[in-house]
This record gives sequence, structure tokens and C-alpha cells, in this order.
Amino acid sequence: MQSSTLTSPTYKKAGMTIIDADVHAHDMPAALAPYTEMPWRKTLEHLATVPERYLDVPGYAPSLAPWPTFPNSGGNRRNIVTSAAQMRQDLDDLGIDIAVIFPDYLLKHAAIRQDDYAVAVAQAYNRWLVQEWLTEDNGLKGVLIAPHHSPEAAAAEIRRYAAHPHIAGVYLPTCCVEPLYGHHRYDVLYAAAQEAGLPVMLHSVTAVYPTFPFNLEGYETLFGVHILAHPLALVANLVSMMETGVPERFPELKIAFTEGGVAWVPWMMMRMDKEYAERRREVPILKDRPSKYIRRMFFATQPVEEPEHLGDMATLLSLFGGEDSVVFASDWPHHDFDHPSKVLQIPVSEAVQRKLMCDNALRLFGHKISLKAPGLLAPAR
Amino acid sequence: MSDAYVVGRVDELPEGRHMVVQVRGREIGVFNVGGRYYALPNACFHQNGPLCRGATSGTLLSSAETHWKPVWACEGEIVICPWHALEFNVTTGQCLAYPNRRLPTWEVKVDGDQLVVLM
Repeated sequence: MQSSTLTSPTYKKAGMTIIDADVHAHDMPAALAPYTEMPWRKTLEHLATVPERYLDVPGYAPSLAPWPTFPNSGGNRRNIVTSAAQMRQDLDDLGIDIAVIFPDYLLKHAAIRQDDYAVAVAQAYNRWLVQEWLTEDNGLKGVLIAPHHSPEAAAAEIRRYAAHPHIAGVYLPTCCVEPLYGHHRYDVLYAAAQEAGLPVMLHSVTAVYPTFPFNLEGYETLFGVHILAHPLALVANLVSMMETGVPERFPELKIAFTEGGVAWVPWMMMRMDKEYAERRREVPILKDRPSKYIRRMFFATQPVEEPEHLGDMATLLSLFGGEDSVVFASDWPHHDFDHPSKVLQIPVSEAVQRKLMCDNALRLFGHKISLKAPGLLAPAR
Repeated sequence: MSDAYVVGRVDELPEGRHMVVQVRGREIGVFNVGGRYYALPNACFHQNGPLCRGATSGTLLSSAETHWKPVWACEGEIVICPWHALEFNVTTGQCLAYPNRRLPTWEVKVDGDQLVVLM
């Protein structure tokens, strides 16, 4: 299936700019190898000889998927994007003006278990991202991989690229991360991101690994694992960040959660507030109920929930102030991508649509995303 | 205009102690914190628990001034609801977990050897 037959952008309302908080560049080892320091370049060159499986490379992006698979279960369209030009074309076909690039394989970066290697891979990805994908003022933006293995190295990467016009945020690999992102070892990372004015973006992925969320290896199907891995990895890290007061200690730090949908947000707000009433002494850093901090965070739509009555989504957003904190994300080109038209079908006012599709993202990414770039639609007046 | 209600004798409420009394048909807690007297309703807004039957102590606070380390503070000023452990500062009625919730407080005076609550 050609990308040009994917869609037509005619669903867009006149003057509506669409910002996509999450698309994926295909970061195969062969592509990153030239950007990798020795001796780890040797590793990537070696991995490049391994036959490619979808988001599954041992020693780089281990899948550890123990269930049976069948041909074409994920559809037969192209599900990787290997160049900036291809990404720009796909986004044009989808009617998306600006998109923020995350990795593919390195969604599992936190699963790598050798710190020096993990840092070298993150540094190589960041070089490759800047030099191969973010060279034009064409609406393509990117997030740095922050290697959790060395928060100091992550902070150095943030400082190195802070002024780059198309680096719009810091990606925190959220599946298999240990310790969770509330740990004080990450303070240096958050201080650097806050100083740079870059949001941190926690992004889930499916992985069966002996770290939180536990027991995923017990499920028989990807159906079971995928339901839980994504939102629970986000939930686990949000709870961790709340218990050490990250949003209180870094009040200017913008925190976003991607690829877990949004239905879990009101559940977590209410659950955390309930616990806080009884256990405030354990988290004296917090100056108010956790929900008050969560209302200042951002949540990407994908995989957007699709209840039988789509009006329920409007109700859901109202439960957590989502009209002002939810940002559209497509997850293009992954198997579970959401077309912008799906989110635009949620029965909210046009003003709220513009917040979800554009304005909230402008607040999230701050000065790094502007509607002034050539070829982009002017914001509606 | 508040009325004065005798709720007990001064020697019944030494420093660091509190008691629950009935005034005008409602239960209130009367506290002696460091030689000063305070009165709160004996009802937690959370689930209507008997707040003033709870114990008093200090609490843990943390801020940039403490370098985000927890410090023990407000010794004797905090009453903890026996039902779900919500904390209130006796001297202000402020709920620690809910900055926007503050219980009413009433003035307590010493009149000779009597404790008098103004309600």
C-alpha cells in the first residue's frame, strides 16, 4: 500500500494546524553505526548483519515475545519510515503539519543492560536524528534519547542540543526503566531539561522483561501484554515521580506521557488523591493533592480510546481538564497509529479541537514549535 | 456576637492534652498547645470521622528551604483523625493534605479556673 493512498487531508478544517506529538523514525543498527563511537560501532555493524525483525533486535531492542504469530496479523501496509523525505510525505498525506519524531527500535532503549553501550547508542541516535532528520525547517521536530543508564550523560546530551531549533523535547524511555523515573539519580536530568526549557516525554512500549510492569510474561497473547504494558509503564513512572515530588521540585519542567491513551489519567488522579489524604506525611514535598500536579502535565492521545459512544471521550476529557492538557499523537507509522480524523470525531467544540490538535502542543513544546515555519498554515484567528 | 460556654476547668487540660466536650449540642475538641488553647469541631470533613478523638503530634514538612529533606515540625500542633489519618493544624484548622480546606476554629479563654469557648 502506497502512503499516498493512505488518506486525503480534506478532513481538515480550514486554518487548523495539526501538531503530532509522536511519530517514529526507523533507527536500524546499520543507520546508526556510522554515528556510533568505538568500540560500540562494532556492535551496531555486527547487529546490522542480523536479519531484521519488526522492532526486535537482540542486544539492541530485545522483544522476548514468546507467543505465536501469523502472517499479516498487523496488516500489510508499510510500518516503517526510513527517511525524513518519506516522513514528510507521509505526514502530508495524513494532513499533519508538524510532527515530533521518536525512535522505533530504541523505544526499548531502557532494556539495554550495559551502561556505556547504552549511552553510546543514545548519543549515536541523537547525532543521527539531528543530521539525518532535522536538517530542514519543514515541520519535522525530534526528541533526544536521554539514557537513563547515566543521568549525567543524559544531562550532557540535553545541554549539547538545547539550542538546536528542531530538538523539541527529551524522550524518557519508559518501558523496562530501572529505577523508575522518580529516583533522585534523575534530578540532574530534570534540572537540565528544565533549564533548557525542553519537556520530558515518557513514552511506553511493549516489552516482556523482568521490570515493571511485572508478570507480563504470564500472558498468552500480545493482546494481554499490550493492554497492560503501555499504560502501566506510564502509571508506574508517574507514581514514582509523584512520590519524590518531581513536579514540585522542578516546577517549570513540562512532563508529558505518550502512547498510553488518556483514560487512565482520571483513574490515577483519583487514586493518588485518595492515598494522599491518608499518607501526606510520607510525601511532604507535595503541597497539594497529586491531581493538582497532574493537571499541569500533558497527555498524548494515542492509542486514543474508542468507546461505542464517542461522546464518552468528551466526558472523559472533562474529568481531568484534558481539554487543556491533551495533545494529538498519531504514532505513525506503527500498527496502532491513529489518524487525526479519529480524534477530530470526538464531539467537542471547535475551540477544544484546536487545543487538542495544536494549541496544547504549542504550550508543551514552547518556543521550539512555531507556526511561523514556511509552508505551514496560519493559526486560526 | 458569640456566646461564652464553660467547657471545663483549666486543671483538666494540661499542656499537650485535649478533650472532647459538648457545646450547644455539638461536639468540639478543646486543645492545650504550649499553654495556648484552641477549639475545633470534632468532625473531619473527609468522612465525618471523630477528628478530635485522634492523637496530637508534630508532622513532616519539606520544601526548598529544607533542601527537600523531610523535617519534623509543628510539634504538638497537629491532630490526626483516627479514621483515615488526615492531619489538621489545631492552631489554624488547616487541613495539611487539602490546602483549600480549613475547619472552623473557636476562641478559648481562661476565666479564673474555668475554660470558656466563644461560639
